[in-house]
Amino acid sequence: MTDPILPAWSEPFALASRDKLLRPAAMQKMDREWAWGGATGSGVKVAILDSGVEAGHPVVGGRLVQSVAVQVIDDEATVVPDDPIDMYGHATACAGIVVGLAPEVEIYSVRVLGADLRGKGAAFLAGLEWAVEQGVQAMNLSLSSKSERLFPFFHEIVDQAYFRNVALVCAVNNVPGLSFPSTFSSVFSVAAHSIPDPEAFFYNPSPPVEWGAWGVDVPIGWKDGGTTVATGNSFAAPHICGLVARILSKHPGLTPFEVKTVLAAVASDPATTRG
Amino acid sequence: MADPGLTAALQALRQAARRSSVARRFDADAEQALLQTIVDATVALFEAEASSIALFERDPDRLEFRVAAGAQGAGAIGLSVPPSKGIVGFVFSTGQPLALSDVLSDPRFDRATAERTGYVPRSIAAVPLIDRDQPVGVLQVLDKHTSPTFSLRDMELLAVFARQAAAALRAARVTRDTHELFRSVLARLAGDDASEAEVEAVVSAVTSQLDTDEEIPFWQLVDRVAQLRDLSDRELRLVTDILEVVAAHAGRGPRSV
Repeated sequence: MTDPILPAWSEPFALASRDKLLRPAAMQKMDREWAWGGATGSGVKVAILDSGVEAGHPVVGGRLVQSVAVQVIDDEATVVPDDPIDMYGHATACAGIVVGLAPEVEIYSVRVLGADLRGKGAAFLAGLEWAVEQGVQAMNLSLSSKSERLFPFFHEIVDQAYFRNVALVCAVNNVPGLSFPSTFSSVFSVAAHSIPDPEAFFYNPSPPVEWGAWGVDVPIGWKDGGTTVATGNSFAAPHICGLVARILSKHPGLTPFEVKTVLAAVASDPATTRG
Repeated sequence: MADPGLTAALQALRQAARRSSVARRFDADAEQALLQTIVDATVALFEAEASSIALFERDPDRLEFRVAAGAQGAGAIGLSVPPSKGIVGFVFSTGQPLALSDVLSDPRFDRATAERTGYVPRSIAAVPLIDRDQPVGVLQVLDKHTSPTFSLRDMELLAVFARQAAAALRAARVTRDTHELFRSVLARLAGDDASEAEVEAVVSAVTSQLDTDEEIPFWQLVDRVAQLRDLSDRELRLVTDILEVVAAHAGRGPRSV
Protein backbone atom coordinates (compact mmCIF):
# COMPACT_ATOMS: atom_id res chain seq x y z
CA MET A 1 0.00 0.00 0.00
CA THR A 2 1.42 3.39 -0.91
CA ASP A 3 1.15 6.44 1.18
CA PRO A 4 -1.14 9.09 -0.18
CA ILE A 5 0.36 12.54 -0.62
CA LEU A 6 0.68 13.88 2.87
CA PRO A 7 1.02 17.42 4.11
CA ALA A 8 4.56 18.15 5.29
CA TRP A 9 3.62 17.96 8.96
CA SER A 10 2.36 14.41 8.54
CA GLU A 11 5.33 13.20 6.60
CA PRO A 12 7.34 12.03 9.63
CA PHE A 13 4.53 9.55 10.36
CA ALA A 14 4.50 7.99 6.87
CA LEU A 15 5.74 4.40 6.70
CA ALA A 16 8.80 5.31 4.65
CA SER A 17 10.10 7.72 7.23
CA ARG A 18 8.73 6.17 10.36
CA ASP A 19 12.05 4.65 11.37
CA LYS A 20 13.11 8.17 12.35
CA LEU A 21 10.59 8.02 15.13
CA LEU A 22 12.41 5.19 16.90
CA ARG A 23 13.42 6.10 20.43
CA PRO A 24 15.61 4.26 22.94
CA ALA A 25 13.78 1.18 24.18
CA ALA A 26 14.76 2.06 27.70
CA MET A 27 12.30 4.96 27.61
CA GLN A 28 9.79 2.33 28.65
CA LYS A 29 11.60 1.36 31.83
CA MET A 30 13.55 4.36 32.91
CA ASP A 31 15.22 4.91 36.21
CA ARG A 32 17.66 7.55 37.40
CA GLU A 33 20.62 5.33 36.63
CA TRP A 34 19.51 5.14 33.01
CA ALA A 35 18.48 8.81 32.93
CA TRP A 36 21.72 10.33 34.18
CA GLY A 37 23.86 7.71 35.95
CA GLY A 38 27.53 8.73 35.61
CA ALA A 39 26.58 11.88 33.66
CA THR A 40 28.42 15.11 34.38
CA GLY A 41 26.81 17.51 31.95
CA SER A 42 29.85 17.10 29.69
CA GLY A 43 29.21 18.34 26.15
CA VAL A 44 26.14 20.33 27.17
CA LYS A 45 26.03 24.11 26.74
CA VAL A 46 23.80 25.91 29.22
CA ALA A 47 22.94 29.60 28.91
CA ILE A 48 22.17 31.57 32.08
CA LEU A 49 20.01 34.60 31.18
CA ASP A 50 20.35 36.77 34.22
CA SER A 51 22.55 39.36 35.92
CA GLY A 52 25.88 38.08 34.54
CA VAL A 53 27.82 35.11 35.95
CA GLU A 54 30.91 35.87 38.03
CA ALA A 55 33.76 33.97 36.33
CA GLY A 56 36.07 33.35 39.27
CA HIS A 57 33.42 32.37 41.81
CA PRO A 58 34.17 28.97 43.39
CA VAL A 59 30.59 27.71 42.80
CA VAL A 60 30.99 28.24 39.03
CA GLY A 61 33.94 25.84 39.04
CA GLY A 62 35.68 27.50 36.10
CA ARG A 63 32.90 26.35 33.73
CA LEU A 64 32.08 29.79 32.30
CA VAL A 65 33.09 29.84 28.63
CA GLN A 66 31.55 33.09 27.36
CA SER A 67 30.00 36.26 28.76
CA VAL A 68 27.83 38.61 26.76
CA ALA A 69 25.44 41.41 27.65
CA VAL A 70 22.47 42.86 25.82
CA GLN A 71 22.54 46.61 25.31
CA VAL A 72 19.31 48.37 24.47
CA ILE A 73 19.61 51.78 22.83
CA ASP A 74 16.45 53.38 21.39
CA ASP A 75 14.61 50.03 21.42
CA GLU A 76 17.47 48.50 19.40
CA ALA A 77 19.00 45.54 21.22
CA THR A 78 22.55 44.41 20.48
CA VAL A 79 24.58 41.61 22.04
CA VAL A 80 28.08 42.69 23.07
CA PRO A 81 30.96 41.00 24.92
CA ASP A 82 30.69 41.53 28.67
CA ASP A 83 33.01 41.47 31.68
CA PRO A 84 32.37 38.28 33.65
CA ILE A 85 31.02 40.05 36.73
CA ASP A 86 27.65 39.78 38.44
CA MET A 87 25.47 42.85 38.96
CA TYR A 88 23.54 41.28 41.83
CA GLY A 89 24.79 37.76 42.57
CA HIS A 90 21.67 36.10 41.17
CA ALA A 91 23.19 34.74 37.94
CA THR A 92 26.15 33.32 39.86
CA ALA A 93 23.74 31.62 42.28
CA CYS A 94 21.85 29.99 39.38
CA ALA A 95 25.03 28.97 37.51
CA GLY A 96 26.42 27.53 40.75
CA ILE A 97 23.37 25.31 41.26
CA VAL A 98 23.55 24.04 37.66
CA VAL A 99 27.31 23.34 37.94
CA GLY A 100 26.73 21.69 41.33
CA LEU A 101 24.52 19.08 39.66
CA ALA A 102 26.33 18.88 36.33
CA PRO A 103 29.97 19.82 37.03
CA GLU A 104 31.17 19.59 33.42
CA VAL A 105 28.59 21.76 31.64
CA GLU A 106 29.72 24.77 29.63
CA ILE A 107 28.13 27.95 30.96
CA TYR A 108 27.22 30.83 28.65
CA SER A 109 26.40 33.96 30.60
CA VAL A 110 23.91 36.32 28.93
CA ARG A 111 23.43 39.47 30.99
CA VAL A 112 19.97 40.91 30.39
CA LEU A 113 19.69 42.89 33.61
CA GLY A 114 21.50 46.13 34.12
CA ALA A 115 21.34 49.73 35.17
CA ASP A 116 19.14 50.71 32.23
CA LEU A 117 15.71 49.38 33.18
CA ARG A 118 13.89 50.78 30.19
CA GLY A 119 13.66 48.13 27.50
CA LYS A 120 14.65 45.27 29.72
CA GLY A 121 11.95 43.11 28.13
CA ALA A 122 13.63 43.81 24.80
CA ALA A 123 17.00 42.84 26.30
CA PHE A 124 15.57 39.58 27.64
CA LEU A 125 14.14 38.77 24.22
CA ALA A 126 17.38 39.57 22.37
CA GLY A 127 19.37 37.50 24.88
CA LEU A 128 17.04 34.54 24.36
CA GLU A 129 17.42 34.85 20.60
CA TRP A 130 21.20 35.04 20.86
CA ALA A 131 21.45 31.96 23.07
CA VAL A 132 19.26 29.92 20.68
CA GLU A 133 21.54 31.00 17.80
CA GLN A 134 24.61 29.79 19.73
CA GLY A 135 23.20 26.27 19.79
CA VAL A 136 22.98 25.89 23.57
CA GLN A 137 21.02 22.80 24.60
CA ALA A 138 19.51 24.24 27.78
CA MET A 139 18.84 27.62 29.32
CA ASN A 140 18.03 28.76 32.80
CA LEU A 141 15.58 31.67 32.96
CA SER A 142 15.06 32.63 36.59
CA LEU A 143 13.28 35.77 35.46
CA SER A 144 10.23 36.62 33.40
CA SER A 145 8.64 39.44 31.46
CA LYS A 146 5.26 41.05 31.98
CA SER A 147 5.29 43.21 28.88
CA GLU A 148 2.10 42.52 26.98
CA ARG A 149 3.58 44.18 23.90
CA LEU A 150 6.37 41.59 23.78
CA PHE A 151 4.13 38.56 24.26
CA PRO A 152 4.00 37.52 20.57
CA PHE A 153 7.76 37.95 20.17
CA PHE A 154 8.45 35.76 23.19
CA HIS A 155 6.01 33.21 21.89
CA GLU A 156 7.81 33.05 18.57
CA ILE A 157 11.31 32.72 19.99
CA VAL A 158 10.21 30.12 22.55
CA ASP A 159 8.73 28.05 19.72
CA GLN A 160 11.97 28.42 17.77
CA ALA A 161 13.91 27.23 20.81
CA TYR A 162 11.63 24.22 21.14
CA PHE A 163 12.02 23.26 17.48
CA ARG A 164 15.79 23.52 17.82
CA ASN A 165 15.80 21.22 20.85
CA VAL A 166 16.67 23.84 23.42
CA ALA A 167 15.25 23.08 26.85
CA LEU A 168 14.10 26.38 28.40
CA VAL A 169 13.90 26.03 32.17
CA CYS A 170 11.92 28.90 33.69
CA ALA A 171 11.20 29.97 37.26
CA VAL A 172 7.51 30.77 37.59
CA ASN A 173 6.64 34.11 39.11
CA ASN A 174 4.23 34.01 42.05
CA VAL A 175 3.15 37.58 41.42
CA PRO A 176 -0.26 37.56 39.73
CA GLY A 177 -0.83 38.55 36.12
CA LEU A 178 0.69 37.61 32.83
CA SER A 179 4.25 36.35 33.11
CA PHE A 180 6.23 34.66 30.40
CA PRO A 181 7.85 32.62 29.07
CA SER A 182 7.33 30.59 32.27
CA THR A 183 3.64 30.03 31.48
CA PHE A 184 4.23 28.79 27.90
CA SER A 185 3.53 25.11 27.40
CA SER A 186 6.84 24.09 25.82
CA VAL A 187 9.08 25.37 28.63
CA PHE A 188 10.01 23.62 31.88
CA SER A 189 8.24 25.81 34.43
CA VAL A 190 9.52 25.36 37.96
CA ALA A 191 8.34 26.38 41.42
CA ALA A 192 10.01 25.77 44.78
CA HIS A 193 9.60 22.99 47.35
CA SER A 194 11.38 22.93 50.67
CA ILE A 195 13.04 19.49 50.74
CA PRO A 196 16.76 20.19 51.15
CA ASP A 197 17.90 17.81 48.42
CA PRO A 198 19.09 19.05 45.01
CA GLU A 199 17.90 15.83 43.37
CA ALA A 200 14.44 15.77 44.92
CA PHE A 201 11.96 17.04 42.35
CA PHE A 202 8.34 16.43 41.46
CA TYR A 203 6.34 16.27 38.28
CA ASN A 204 3.00 18.04 38.44
CA PRO A 205 0.48 16.85 35.84
CA SER A 206 -1.62 20.00 36.33
CA PRO A 207 0.08 22.79 34.37
CA PRO A 208 1.19 25.51 34.04
CA VAL A 209 3.76 24.69 36.75
CA GLU A 210 5.02 21.25 35.81
CA TRP A 211 8.05 20.91 38.10
CA GLY A 212 8.80 21.41 41.76
CA ALA A 213 12.43 21.57 42.92
CA TRP A 214 14.38 22.72 45.97
CA GLY A 215 14.01 26.48 46.41
CA VAL A 216 13.83 27.13 50.15
CA ASP A 217 16.92 27.97 52.21
CA VAL A 218 19.23 26.96 49.40
CA PRO A 219 22.93 27.67 49.99
CA ILE A 220 24.06 29.72 47.00
CA GLY A 221 27.01 31.64 45.61
CA TRP A 222 26.42 35.39 45.66
CA LYS A 223 28.35 38.36 44.34
CA ASP A 224 32.05 39.06 44.88
CA GLY A 225 32.89 35.46 45.74
CA GLY A 226 30.38 35.45 48.61
CA THR A 227 27.80 32.92 49.66
CA THR A 228 24.39 33.16 51.30
CA VAL A 229 21.19 31.18 51.78
CA ALA A 230 18.20 32.04 49.62
CA THR A 231 14.54 31.24 49.03
CA GLY A 232 12.67 31.71 45.78
CA ASN A 233 11.53 29.96 42.62
CA SER A 234 14.65 31.51 41.10
CA PHE A 235 16.71 28.85 42.87
CA ALA A 236 14.36 25.95 42.10
CA ALA A 237 14.66 26.37 38.32
CA PRO A 238 18.45 25.81 38.13
CA HIS A 239 18.06 22.49 39.99
CA ILE A 240 15.84 21.24 37.15
CA CYS A 241 18.21 22.86 34.64
CA GLY A 242 21.17 20.96 36.14
CA LEU A 243 19.30 17.64 35.92
CA VAL A 244 18.27 18.44 32.34
CA ALA A 245 21.96 19.05 31.51
CA ARG A 246 22.85 15.67 33.01
CA ILE A 247 20.17 13.90 30.98
CA LEU A 248 21.27 15.64 27.78
CA SER A 249 24.90 14.79 28.37
CA LYS A 250 24.05 11.13 28.69
CA HIS A 251 21.45 11.15 25.90
CA PRO A 252 22.44 13.83 23.40
CA GLY A 253 19.75 14.90 20.98
CA LEU A 254 16.72 14.23 23.16
CA THR A 255 14.01 16.78 22.43
CA PRO A 256 12.60 19.00 25.19
CA PHE A 257 9.45 16.88 25.07
CA GLU A 258 11.50 13.72 25.59
CA VAL A 259 13.53 15.28 28.38
CA LYS A 260 10.25 16.14 30.10
CA THR A 261 9.18 12.53 29.68
CA VAL A 262 12.42 11.25 31.22
CA LEU A 263 12.14 13.71 34.09
CA ALA A 264 8.51 12.76 34.71
CA ALA A 265 9.47 9.07 34.73
CA VAL A 266 12.25 9.47 37.29
CA ALA A 267 10.69 12.24 39.41
CA SER A 268 10.62 11.78 43.18
CA ASP A 269 7.76 9.63 44.36
CA PRO A 270 5.21 11.94 45.96
CA ALA A 271 3.90 9.03 48.02
CA THR A 272 7.21 8.16 49.69
CA THR A 273 9.25 11.39 49.61
CA ARG A 274 9.14 13.12 52.94
CA GLY A 275 10.35 16.51 54.09
CA MET B 1 1.57 85.56 16.44
CA ALA B 2 0.65 82.37 18.23
CA ASP B 3 -2.49 80.56 17.14
CA PRO B 4 -5.24 81.82 19.53
CA GLY B 5 -6.83 78.34 19.67
CA LEU B 6 -3.52 76.85 20.70
CA THR B 7 -2.95 79.51 23.32
CA ALA B 8 -6.37 78.83 24.81
CA ALA B 9 -5.71 75.09 24.80
CA LEU B 10 -2.37 75.57 26.55
CA GLN B 11 -4.05 77.83 29.07
CA ALA B 12 -6.67 75.17 29.79
CA LEU B 13 -4.01 72.51 30.17
CA ARG B 14 -2.06 74.75 32.53
CA GLN B 15 -5.13 75.18 34.69
CA ALA B 16 -5.77 71.44 34.69
CA ALA B 17 -2.15 70.83 35.65
CA ARG B 18 -2.36 73.27 38.50
CA ARG B 19 -5.60 71.73 39.76
CA SER B 20 -4.19 68.24 39.65
CA SER B 21 -1.10 69.50 41.42
CA VAL B 22 -3.23 70.99 44.18
CA ALA B 23 -5.21 67.76 44.41
CA ARG B 24 -2.01 65.76 44.68
CA ARG B 25 -0.84 68.05 47.44
CA PHE B 26 -4.07 67.41 49.31
CA ASP B 27 -3.68 63.68 48.94
CA ALA B 28 0.03 63.37 49.63
CA ASP B 29 -0.53 61.99 53.08
CA ALA B 30 -3.27 59.58 51.97
CA GLU B 31 -0.80 57.50 49.96
CA GLN B 32 1.69 57.60 52.80
CA ALA B 33 -0.94 56.56 55.35
CA LEU B 34 -2.08 53.59 53.28
CA LEU B 35 1.45 52.36 52.80
CA GLN B 36 2.18 52.82 56.49
CA THR B 37 -0.80 50.61 57.40
CA ILE B 38 0.61 47.88 55.19
CA VAL B 39 4.11 47.88 56.69
CA ASP B 40 2.62 48.08 60.21
CA ALA B 41 0.52 45.01 59.48
CA THR B 42 3.49 43.22 57.89
CA VAL B 43 5.69 43.73 60.95
CA ALA B 44 2.93 42.57 63.29
CA LEU B 45 2.02 39.50 61.29
CA PHE B 46 5.55 38.34 60.60
CA GLU B 47 6.78 39.32 64.06
CA ALA B 48 9.69 40.97 62.32
CA GLU B 49 12.34 43.50 63.26
CA ALA B 50 11.37 45.77 60.39
CA SER B 51 9.33 46.15 57.23
CA SER B 52 9.57 48.87 54.61
CA ILE B 53 8.34 49.91 51.17
CA ALA B 54 10.59 51.45 48.54
CA LEU B 55 9.02 53.12 45.52
CA PHE B 56 10.63 53.68 42.13
CA GLU B 57 11.35 57.31 41.30
CA ARG B 58 13.00 58.78 38.21
CA ASP B 59 15.68 61.41 37.54
CA PRO B 60 17.82 59.82 38.72
CA ASP B 61 16.38 56.27 38.67
CA ARG B 62 16.21 55.11 42.28
CA LEU B 63 14.21 53.12 44.80
CA GLU B 64 13.24 55.39 47.63
CA PHE B 65 12.17 54.01 51.02
CA ARG B 66 8.94 55.83 51.80
CA VAL B 67 7.52 54.07 54.87
CA ALA B 68 8.85 51.69 57.47
CA ALA B 69 7.70 49.97 60.64
CA GLY B 70 9.17 47.87 63.42
CA ALA B 71 11.84 48.38 66.03
CA GLN B 72 14.59 48.57 63.39
CA GLY B 73 12.61 50.15 60.56
CA ALA B 74 12.90 53.90 61.04
CA GLY B 75 16.46 54.24 59.72
CA ALA B 76 15.40 53.21 56.22
CA ILE B 77 12.96 56.07 55.60
CA GLY B 78 14.20 58.55 53.02
CA LEU B 79 17.04 56.28 51.93
CA SER B 80 17.49 55.69 48.20
CA VAL B 81 19.18 52.75 46.50
CA PRO B 82 19.99 52.33 42.79
CA PRO B 83 17.72 49.78 41.04
CA SER B 84 20.85 48.03 39.80
CA LYS B 85 21.97 47.02 43.28
CA GLY B 86 21.10 44.75 46.15
CA ILE B 87 18.12 42.58 46.87
CA VAL B 88 15.62 45.40 46.56
CA GLY B 89 17.08 46.39 43.18
CA PHE B 90 17.04 42.80 42.00
CA VAL B 91 13.45 42.17 43.01
CA PHE B 92 12.38 45.43 41.38
CA SER B 93 14.32 44.77 38.17
CA THR B 94 13.19 41.18 37.70
CA GLY B 95 9.78 41.22 39.37
CA GLN B 96 10.92 38.00 41.07
CA PRO B 97 10.27 37.55 44.82
CA LEU B 98 13.35 36.57 46.82
CA ALA B 99 14.43 35.83 50.37
CA LEU B 100 17.96 35.64 51.71
CA SER B 101 19.01 34.41 55.11
CA ASP B 102 22.44 34.13 56.62
CA VAL B 103 23.12 37.48 54.97
CA LEU B 104 25.96 38.15 57.38
CA SER B 105 27.95 35.19 56.09
CA ASP B 106 28.85 37.42 53.18
CA PRO B 107 30.50 40.51 54.64
CA ARG B 108 30.18 42.40 51.36
CA PHE B 109 26.49 41.77 50.91
CA ASP B 110 24.69 45.07 50.68
CA ARG B 111 26.36 46.08 53.88
CA ALA B 112 26.95 49.70 52.93
CA THR B 113 23.24 50.33 52.37
CA ALA B 114 22.20 48.32 55.41
CA GLU B 115 24.61 50.19 57.64
CA ARG B 116 23.19 53.52 56.50
CA THR B 117 19.90 52.44 58.05
CA GLY B 118 21.65 51.70 61.32
CA TYR B 119 20.63 48.05 61.17
CA VAL B 120 22.27 45.12 59.38
CA PRO B 121 19.76 42.25 59.08
CA ARG B 122 20.45 38.54 59.17
CA SER B 123 17.60 37.72 56.80
CA ILE B 124 15.53 39.60 54.21
CA ALA B 125 12.43 38.75 52.18
CA ALA B 126 11.40 41.05 49.34
CA VAL B 127 8.54 41.03 46.83
CA PRO B 128 7.76 43.44 43.99
CA LEU B 129 4.79 45.83 43.94
CA ILE B 130 3.25 45.41 40.50
CA ASP B 131 0.90 47.96 38.98
CA ARG B 132 -0.53 47.22 35.53
CA ASP B 133 2.27 44.76 34.74
CA GLN B 134 4.98 47.22 35.74
CA PRO B 135 7.00 46.99 38.93
CA VAL B 136 6.54 50.23 40.88
CA GLY B 137 8.34 49.35 44.09
CA VAL B 138 9.36 46.68 46.58
CA LEU B 139 8.02 45.52 49.94
CA GLN B 140 10.62 44.01 52.24
CA VAL B 141 10.70 42.35 55.66
CA LEU B 142 13.79 41.96 57.83
CA ASP B 143 14.45 39.29 60.46
CA LYS B 144 11.52 37.33 61.84
CA HIS B 145 11.72 36.86 65.59
CA THR B 146 10.36 33.33 65.33
CA SER B 147 12.63 31.89 62.65
CA PRO B 148 16.03 32.60 61.08
CA THR B 149 14.59 32.09 57.58
CA PHE B 150 11.47 32.75 55.51
CA SER B 151 9.22 29.90 54.44
CA LEU B 152 7.26 29.52 51.19
CA ARG B 153 4.16 30.40 53.14
CA ASP B 154 5.85 33.62 54.28
CA MET B 155 6.64 34.51 50.68
CA GLU B 156 3.08 33.84 49.62
CA LEU B 157 1.70 35.98 52.41
CA LEU B 158 4.12 38.76 51.65
CA ALA B 159 2.97 38.69 48.02
CA VAL B 160 -0.61 39.22 49.24
CA PHE B 161 0.49 42.28 51.22
CA ALA B 162 2.37 43.56 48.18
CA ARG B 163 -0.80 43.24 46.12
CA GLN B 164 -2.63 45.34 48.70
CA ALA B 165 0.10 47.95 48.63
CA ALA B 166 0.06 48.11 44.83
CA ALA B 167 -3.73 48.52 44.81
CA ALA B 168 -3.51 51.29 47.41
CA LEU B 169 -0.86 53.06 45.38
CA ARG B 170 -2.88 52.86 42.21
CA ALA B 171 -5.84 54.45 43.93
CA ALA B 172 -3.77 57.20 45.51
CA ARG B 173 -1.73 57.96 42.43
CA VAL B 174 -4.42 58.94 39.99
CA THR B 175 -3.37 62.54 40.22
CA ARG B 176 0.12 61.93 41.43
CA ASP B 177 2.25 62.56 38.40
CA THR B 178 0.85 65.36 36.31
CA HIS B 179 3.93 65.49 34.15
CA GLU B 180 3.75 61.80 33.25
CA LEU B 181 0.00 62.00 32.70
CA PHE B 182 0.28 64.83 30.19
CA ARG B 183 3.20 63.23 28.45
CA SER B 184 1.44 59.91 27.89
CA VAL B 185 -1.87 61.48 26.82
CA LEU B 186 -0.25 63.95 24.44
CA ALA B 187 2.07 61.34 22.96
CA ARG B 188 -0.89 59.07 22.31
CA LEU B 189 -3.00 61.85 20.78
CA ALA B 190 -0.15 63.04 18.59
CA GLY B 191 0.73 59.53 17.40
CA ASP B 192 3.36 59.73 14.66
CA ASP B 193 2.62 63.41 13.94
CA ALA B 194 4.87 64.71 16.70
CA SER B 195 8.37 63.80 17.83
CA GLU B 196 9.16 63.02 21.43
CA ALA B 197 10.91 66.40 21.69
CA GLU B 198 7.80 68.25 20.49
CA VAL B 199 5.60 66.43 23.03
CA GLU B 200 8.14 67.18 25.75
CA ALA B 201 8.14 70.89 24.77
CA VAL B 202 4.36 71.09 25.22
CA VAL B 203 4.50 69.17 28.52
CA SER B 204 7.14 71.44 29.93
CA ALA B 205 5.21 74.55 28.75
CA VAL B 206 2.22 73.25 30.67
CA THR B 207 3.94 72.02 33.81
CA SER B 208 6.92 74.35 34.13
CA GLN B 209 5.12 76.49 36.67
CA LEU B 210 4.34 73.57 38.97
CA ASP B 211 6.31 72.74 42.06
CA THR B 212 9.22 74.90 41.01
CA ASP B 213 9.55 76.16 44.52
CA GLU B 214 8.14 74.11 47.36
CA GLU B 215 8.37 77.10 49.70
CA ILE B 216 6.30 79.64 47.78
CA PRO B 217 3.41 81.02 49.84
CA PHE B 218 0.78 79.49 47.54
CA TRP B 219 1.89 75.92 48.27
CA GLN B 220 2.23 76.68 51.95
CA LEU B 221 -1.38 77.80 51.86
CA VAL B 222 -2.45 74.62 50.05
CA ASP B 223 -0.65 72.55 52.69
CA ARG B 224 -2.32 74.47 55.49
CA VAL B 225 -5.74 73.99 53.93
CA ALA B 226 -5.01 70.28 53.55
CA GLN B 227 -4.44 70.14 57.30
CA LEU B 228 -7.86 71.65 58.00
CA ARG B 229 -9.84 68.60 56.95
CA ASP B 230 -10.27 67.33 60.48
CA LEU B 231 -11.69 70.58 61.83
CA SER B 232 -15.30 70.79 63.04
CA ASP B 233 -17.97 72.45 60.89
CA ARG B 234 -17.94 75.49 63.14
CA GLU B 235 -14.18 75.92 62.85
CA LEU B 236 -14.35 75.42 59.09
CA ARG B 237 -17.02 78.14 58.83
CA LEU B 238 -14.74 80.49 60.72
CA VAL B 239 -11.82 79.74 58.37
CA THR B 240 -14.10 80.24 55.37
CA ASP B 241 -15.19 83.66 56.71
CA ILE B 242 -11.56 84.69 57.15
CA LEU B 243 -10.69 83.52 53.65
CA GLU B 244 -13.62 85.47 52.21
CA VAL B 245 -12.31 88.67 53.76
CA VAL B 246 -8.83 87.93 52.38
CA ALA B 247 -10.24 87.08 48.95
CA ALA B 248 -12.26 90.32 48.85
CA HIS B 249 -9.11 92.21 49.70
CA ALA B 250 -7.12 90.36 47.01
CA GLY B 251 -9.84 91.23 44.47
CA ARG B 252 -9.14 94.92 45.01
CA GLY B 253 -5.35 94.75 44.89
CA PRO B 254 -2.96 93.52 42.19
CA ARG B 255 -3.13 89.74 41.53
CA SER B 256 -0.08 87.99 42.81
CA VAL B 257 -0.87 84.29 42.51
